[in-house]
Amino acid sequence: MIFNRTVKPKPAKNISFGLPQIEKFKLQNGLDVIFIQKKKLPIIRLSLIINAGSKFDPENKKGLSNLLAMVIDEGAGKYNALELSEEFDILGANFSVNSNHDKIYFTLQTLTENFDKSLELFCTVIKSPHFSEEDFLRQKRKTLTHLLQLKDDPEEIADTVFSYVLFGEQNPYAFPTSGYDSHIELISINDIKNYYNMHLTPSNSTLVVVGDSSSKNIIEKLEQNIGSWRLEGTKIKKNFDTQGTSNQIFLVDKKDSVQTEIRMGYPSSKRSMDDFFPKLVLNTILGGPFTSRINLNLRENKGYTYGASSSFGYLQESGFFIVSTSVGIENTASAIKEILYELNKIREGITEDELEFAKSFLIRQFPSSFETYRQISSNLTTMVIHSLPDNYFNNYIENLNRISIEEVNKAALENIFTSNLSTIIVGDKEKLLSQLKSENFENIVSTDYNGKPAIL
Amino acid sequence: MDLLNLNYEKYKLKNGLEVILYRDNTLPIVTTNIWYRAGSANEKLGKTGIAHLFEHMMFQGSVNVPKEMHFRYIQEAGGNLNGSTSTDRTNYFEKVPSNFLELILWLESDRMGFFIPALTQEKLANQIDVVKNERLERYDNQPYGLAWEILISNLFPENHPYSWATIGSLEDISNFTIEDVKSFFEKYYSPANACLVIAGDFEPNEAKNLTEKYFGEIQGKNHLETPQLKPIRLDENKFIVHKDKVQLERIYLAWHTGCAYSEDDSALDIFTDLLTGSKTSRLYKKLVFEQEVAQDITAYQFSGKYAGYFVVIATAKPGILLAELKDKIFAEFENIKNNGINEKELLRSKNGIKSGFIYSMQNIDSMADQLNSYNYFLNEPNSFNYDLSRYENVSGENILGLFEKYFSKPFVELHVIPETEG
Repeated sequence: MIFNRTVKPKPAKNISFGLPQIEKFKLQNGLDVIFIQKKKLPIIRLSLIINAGSKFDPENKKGLSNLLAMVIDEGAGKYNALELSEEFDILGANFSVNSNHDKIYFTLQTLTENFDKSLELFCTVIKSPHFSEEDFLRQKRKTLTHLLQLKDDPEEIADTVFSYVLFGEQNPYAFPTSGYDSHIELISINDIKNYYNMHLTPSNSTLVVVGDSSSKNIIEKLEQNIGSWRLEGTKIKKNFDTQGTSNQIFLVDKKDSVQTEIRMGYPSSKRSMDDFFPKLVLNTILGGPFTSRINLNLRENKGYTYGASSSFGYLQESGFFIVSTSVGIENTASAIKEILYELNKIREGITEDELEFAKSFLIRQFPSSFETYRQISSNLTTMVIHSLPDNYFNNYIENLNRISIEEVNKAALENIFTSNLSTIIVGDKEKLLSQLKSENFENIVSTDYNGKPAIL
Repeated sequence: MDLLNLNYEKYKLKNGLEVILYRDNTLPIVTTNIWYRAGSANEKLGKTGIAHLFEHMMFQGSVNVPKEMHFRYIQEAGGNLNGSTSTDRTNYFEKVPSNFLELILWLESDRMGFFIPALTQEKLANQIDVVKNERLERYDNQPYGLAWEILISNLFPENHPYSWATIGSLEDISNFTIEDVKSFFEKYYSPANACLVIAGDFEPNEAKNLTEKYFGEIQGKNHLETPQLKPIRLDENKFIVHKDKVQLERIYLAWHTGCAYSEDDSALDIFTDLLTGSKTSRLYKKLVFEQEVAQDITAYQFSGKYAGYFVVIATAKPGILLAELKDKIFAEFENIKNNGINEKELLRSKNGIKSGFIYSMQNIDSMADQLNSYNYFLNEPNSFNYDLSRYENVSGENILGLFEKYFSKPFVELHVIPETEG
């Protein structure tokens, strides 16, 4: 067959994609439920999102929320820790409890045929955890050892220091979810119980359900199993103001490292429907996908790194902008300069071609973000965390389509800066310090693994 | 199980390229997944890492696709893409809205048939830098990051290709030339050495026509090499100590086992689950939960085309000696050997594996990759039910039989300890 291989094939006829229907209802105990029916496979996935993340950790007990998540499934109802785990396993169900700055998540993935039994266990953990002293102490020791291990991991250290210097001591987002060892030593089982009574309540939670069932069946089974969960709790107000960060380089010494972990960024606005889409398009051009400016420059052009990216991070009460990469030590100063160059350059404006690419990328990948049960559940979770409107996904493509080059350029001027930018570098101090000084970098300070000042 | 019985079509082009079509139009997306039957097992000492570096070069453009445009074309179609290299094969995959099927077939065929003329020294030098950074970031700079490499280099003799890590040595990566890349392509990247899976939302006739149009004209090569590897055994136990920038000591124990899908492969997989797969598993329960002598413990069975091995890895709690962990691991082996496995434990593992099969069907890319994997190892893409039955048929006696065959033989013992210690 003779044809011209030099010509890029055009897409075939347009495709159509129907969004799954979102159903919302409230149980008698006040728990909000969001349900999407998905029948492809005999699977049901549940995610209970509780507004009880580490942002509510008390001043001197950083790590409390995470420790609660570690203890809560160590025995519940008539099962001890091992029996409970065994019950889930024999059903072939995957159950886990996780926490981050904003939320504690209970997640269950089960076959439809085992849904009733799995749901009963799931609800038992929420309603009737044992919180025994023995289980608590074991998990506490495990957490303390885990904190020790985090000192080995340069990426973890870089992220921890980034949050700390960015948000500042007064902000709950400054502290690692896993907490501090000296604080964890002070935590008692009563702290855990109080935290549970205060925060783990139906009115403070939303349950996301995706799977092969009907809303009628789901409501019925939930009322049966979780209807008796009726804690009132106490609402807590926290201040999420960020301290302005200064234009500094925070150097964390990891002796004999063979790479340098780099994080650069600053606090940025929290997620808002007013500017979310322009910022999304902007970052797609700047540092999102592989072909974004930062990655092409640092990886495909200079060969400094295996990968470099940027993103707008959205927490429930705050936000930040971050550039993240890991580079060979000898290229640390050059990599920082190239990142600054890209940040300055994008403020000068983007091209029509880049705008078209970014919109095309984001719009066309939309259907594939509804493929797995996990993806759908995660989309709904994002809606919950950021209180997005019910028609968010219905209007998603239209919202992207109508973005103009002016809006993106405005978003760049309003959201991308090189002043008041914190740079965190984790690596071999001796080698890094002489390199940075010979390249005329100023305002270098030294911190420990938690971001607190250390001797330079 | 009906759900695991897939309808597919498999055929060959004249140049030897195998094609597997699997339709699923739940969503308007389509994926291609191509396996080349070459990985780091096809490398020679002194040229370690060429298969993986080659994978990187395949994203650097071809005659009709300029550098960076391979990524760009797929991403502007809303697609995602990647590749990966293992010991036995290299795969390349992309997933796009279904109206872009022709685009990805064009891109895949261009680099299969028209790769060499677009190769430049500049592209190679850039990707050597990228891969060196990849190695430093993901292995050298990670806690315990070199342990695996040390382990396999002691488990296999020096000239066996399973004795080195797929990423390759820093020295070898640094020294690759255009000639090395060309010669790897000539030996292994032929249509007759590859299998293309198209899965998702497509019209079969259209997919066949497009596959013929783009791949049909690519010439096959005559000289394709496959490694000839003899079975390996250790003659005596080996003990290695490695110092690393870590807080806690970690022990690795490794035994030779068998190849993928060989007689005991599924029993060994189940054995890993019985030992460390859950909170109630034997070693986890004793060492982590009850005695708190280990922070974590994992058992892992690697089975490849040319060999297999079984590894137990445990991290000691502060103040606990690795010798103690080792004794406890062997004591539990003795206990199982003498008292057997009970039916409930076995059922727990099998139920987990069974639901795992169904959970893994959620995503069309992993289905496509699994079809390719079954085709490669078993010459039958629709092997989901067969694969599940391998696990369902494992008995307590099969597990007990593993001790005589594998765990009574010599093993490699690696200790990773903190640098600061004497």
